[in-house]
Amino acid sequence: MFTDVATIIKLASFGGAGICIGLGAIGAAVGEGYTAGMANLSISHKPERSGDIMKNMLVGQAVAESAGIFALVIAIVLIFMDASSTNLLTAAALFGAGICMGFGAIGSGIGSGYPGGEACLGLSRQPSVSNRLMTNMLIGSAVCQTPAIFSMVVSLMLIFKNIGDLPLAPTWAALLGAGISTGVAAIGSGMGGGMTAGASCESIARNPETLGRVTTTMLVGQAVSQTPSIFGLLVSFILMFKTFPESSTLSAAMALLGAGICMGFGGIGPGIGNGMTAQGAVKWVSRNIEAAGELMRTMLVGQAVSQSTAIYAMVISLVLVFVV
Amino acid sequence: MDELTEIPQMTLEFFGINLVFNTQTILMTWVVMAALIGFGFLATKKIGFLPNPFQVVGELLVTVFQGLTLDALGEDLAKKYFPLICGLFMFLLLSNWLGIIPELSEPTKDLNTPLGLGIMGFCIAHYSGIKAKGFKAYVKGYTEPIIFLAPLNVIGEISKVISISFRLFGNIMGGAIIILVVSHLVYSLILPPALNLFFGLFVGTIQAFVFTMLTLVYISVQVN
Repeated sequence: MFTDVATIIKLASFGGAGICIGLGAIGAAVGEGYTAGMANLSISHKPERSGDIMKNMLVGQAVAESAGIFALVIAIVLIFMDASSTNLLTAAALFGAGICMGFGAIGSGIGSGYPGGEACLGLSRQPSVSNRLMTNMLIGSAVCQTPAIFSMVVSLMLIFKNIGDLPLAPTWAALLGAGISTGVAAIGSGMGGGMTAGASCESIARNPETLGRVTTTMLVGQAVSQTPSIFGLLVSFILMFKTFPESSTLSAAMALLGAGICMGFGGIGPGIGNGMTAQGAVKWVSRNIEAAGELMRTMLVGQAVSQSTAIYAMVISLVLVFVV
Repeated sequence: MDELTEIPQMTLEFFGINLVFNTQTILMTWVVMAALIGFGFLATKKIGFLPNPFQVVGELLVTVFQGLTLDALGEDLAKKYFPLICGLFMFLLLSNWLGIIPELSEPTKDLNTPLGLGIMGFCIAHYSGIKAKGFKAYVKGYTEPIIFLAPLNVIGEISKVISISFRLFGNIMGGAIIILVVSHLVYSLILPPALNLFFGLFVGTIQAFVFTMLTLVYISVQVN
């Protein structure tokens, strides 16, 4: 039915744009809704501070929105770019870019809703620390955008990649796999980082004196829960920049696609799990500041164990890329 | 858009081995080192009761990182590792900030820099672990909880190096790519300064701190 290449490339870029903004809208909307719900709750606790709480809610929602905006930017680029390429690979790259950014925006959108909501609640509990609370919220939700930023980088690289005369047969699968790997792996890390940031906002409202230790523990916990999405990024880079020999068998292509799927889905669970670990640690640092060092060590050991599934996924992906 | 993935390189033939130098990265690392040495001189030139601005910044850094190393490592080891941790943070901070100056670029944008620092941290952590616990107890740590998990423990340790260095590299290079593409799309109007502020100053500071803290925490996990 679609015989000429230009039509197929257009088809892929429009399809990719649709998937991108469609999936990308999920996370940001859920996160913003959570923030707004918590803001309502805290205004009911302290109606006289409704102005501050409303302001904080809007700032928190604006940060949560940014994941959706990344998806919007990629979708617009996909729609209005005129690809003059005559290579079918461009179609795979553009479609992969859409998938990558679409999935990648889900986690960070949901995640950055948590710090916004907890900060609103904290404002009603402890109005005197509103400035420090808002600063901490901004730092936490900015760090939890990192997985979405990784997805955006991979999408942009796929869109502007110089395809040249790479062999079509296995490379299409590599480009699609690169998109799936970073995009899907970003879901878990985004949500996990958000849970951690939310717990830190709650802790500061509970015990403002522990601000320094809580922020440090939060940053380390978030950084470790980002590890699965970093593995996803690594697999994507390998899939994008390694040149694969031409082969017409389906198994070569499926190995590369499988590598991306494996790392992508394998990264969801560890990201959320690591976030839960860090959430617990951050919560208890504020309640028992003397044990902060011990808590951080226990958190890291626990995260390392729950991360081992992400490492299994990465090992299998690398085996699929380099051995099969 | 070709500048996205381009790295200026220079190849030298050395006794039959091709040595490849990433010229820009090396140059930028030297810029950072020179700036840090200059900062050191300015901060310690006239140490007085009424400090000059450089001394204030220096004292701030020293106080904060002395507290952090003391918390993580205890009195004795903190004295030994504090210069490393503080120096690492200052180097990374300046490296990540360098990109906001036109014509200069972050040395951390090249994977070799974060990977080198990551491997350095890995070696230091394991050396200090062996020194603190003794070689036998160190090896025994890998066979826990059961001996069959030893290969996975080893892979887990190696994956720490990958995650710590790719975290820094991905954030800094991702920021640079997004700034480049967005500036290109909006014809360098209005948006780029705000993006530089966020990705250069804010993300750069946080990632420098995270890298330093993780190196410190990896040492403390090995020691205890």
